[in-house]
Amino acid sequence: MKKIFIALSFVIVAFLIIPLIKLLLSIHFISYISTIKDKEVIGSIVLTMKVSLFAVIFVLFTGLPLAYLIARYEFKGKSLLESIIDIPIMVPHTAAGIALLITFNNGFIGNFFSKLNISFIDTTQGIMIAMMFISAPYLINSAKEGFKNIDPKLENISRSLGANSFYTFLRIVLPNAKKDIINGMLMMWARGLGEFGAVVILAYHPMVAPVLIYDRFVNFGLNYSAPVAAIMIIVSVIIFIFVRFLNNKFQN
Amino acid sequence: MLEIKNLFLKKGDFTLKNISFSIEPNKYFVLLGQTGSGKTLLLESIAGFHKIDGKIFFEEKDITSLPPERRNFGFVYQDFALFPNLNVEKNIKYSEKFKGKNETLFEDLTKFLNIEHILKRKIKHLSGGEKQRIALARAIYSRAKILLLDEPLSAIDPTMRNEIMKNLKELPKRYNLSILHVTHNFREASYLGDFLGIMLNGNLIQTGEIKNVLKNPISIEVAKFLGFKNLFNVSLIGFNSTKYFSIDPNDIKISLKKEKYDYCFEGIVEEIMGITDHYKVFVNVNENQFFIKVIKNDFEKLNIQKKQKVYICFNKKDIIFI
Repeated sequence: MKKIFIALSFVIVAFLIIPLIKLLLSIHFISYISTIKDKEVIGSIVLTMKVSLFAVIFVLFTGLPLAYLIARYEFKGKSLLESIIDIPIMVPHTAAGIALLITFNNGFIGNFFSKLNISFIDTTQGIMIAMMFISAPYLINSAKEGFKNIDPKLENISRSLGANSFYTFLRIVLPNAKKDIINGMLMMWARGLGEFGAVVILAYHPMVAPVLIYDRFVNFGLNYSAPVAAIMIIVSVIIFIFVRFLNNKFQN
Repeated sequence: MLEIKNLFLKKGDFTLKNISFSIEPNKYFVLLGQTGSGKTLLLESIAGFHKIDGKIFFEEKDITSLPPERRNFGFVYQDFALFPNLNVEKNIKYSEKFKGKNETLFEDLTKFLNIEHILKRKIKHLSGGEKQRIALARAIYSRAKILLLDEPLSAIDPTMRNEIMKNLKELPKRYNLSILHVTHNFREASYLGDFLGIMLNGNLIQTGEIKNVLKNPISIEVAKFLGFKNLFNVSLIGFNSTKYFSIDPNDIKISLKKEKYDYCFEGIVEEIMGITDHYKVFVNVNENQFFIKVIKNDFEKLNIQKKQKVYICFNKKDIIFI
């Protein structure tokens, strides 16, 4: 049986890896150099990473409390709430984009933000909410698992030693759930980087990397879009591996 | 010092039913109960981790609704619940931010509990005994006036247990505190406690000074739980009542002939078990099985075999009536 399983595993691993390697190898060295020198490309990659990071930070402040509540307390509608959090993973991304457009472009919420001079059409804020909508569940769910794994007795002890509940959360709960939270942040951030469907509906410009890749493919063809795609993949993978490495290294 | 009045709590499968008792300053109170009798829940309620009905007074003040951080009770869980993200020293000094520094106390504690050499270690590399001493040190360093100990010895290697029991017994006087220790082990209880409470199914059914409780269990359940052996109806020794009596297996003389004791019964040896330094002999007397402990040498002199007819004899003064 083991041999058959290994063979089957090999098929799927090959399927996942070969296209990426093909892409990276299909581009000439000179193409790489010229693409790196292309300010539009670098600007777009930096924008993508930066905005996705902002989305992660926003969810860190709002999603962690939510994840903690779900992990620690029993309340009515808890499983419904957990299902709602998972919805963005299931809906088509363009549909999510449309929903966000309807919500943030007009109506009560749209008007509220326009009074504050914040628009979501063709702005980085628009990109951010699109990324955030699609990717927030990854961080929330991962943090939830992390919090669930922390023995509530640790919190009890911290309280009995004189710490209030907020200090306990900062000093005991967060550090011990760190690994899951950082993994969740990485997953969310990576998911945001790749987001195209929802972003493109709210903000074609400024162009994030996936939109730029699409834009170049449609307007100029494969030769112009492939190097951008390759560089985006390389940079993401490097950052991803680096953060994972740090996370594992500093875990206890 | 600590007074619990009509504490009532229902949580999951557990219910604590109108529990009342009090603990004196510098005393060691052991609460003995079976697994699942709600002991941990009771400790947690006293520590303030659950909302309860009833009242808790500490030094005459009503603390029923105070949050745990304002109660000043140290807590040690069965699995010690050390903070995995902090090293040994930082675990112990966790309360420093709220209770202030006290280097003398810290040094005394680490010396007394023999943990000076592991202060810089990480939690995951410690043995059960080490963890337990750190958890104790952490609780005492928070200047706790009462220590709440939840089965503190059950996760300890048996070879370490005696030493830790000795430490525990010394704590109240040395650090001027009271201890409430819950356990299911009556040996632990009888060595450590000044006072004893018996908990069965969420009820506190007997409390008192340990020697009184051990001498006068109020029911056969309590007696069984306290490890009393040879529990029989008093009709066996000629009383006309539904009460019970117990006789210590060490206080029974086994012999081949009738001897001069207050009571002597003829019986058949059912089972003999040789343990390192003594023998456990089970003798059937009119369908009542007596359990007798005999020292190795004495037993070997008697040369008793299974199925043999013997006499078991004991004196009135050794009988405990229940």
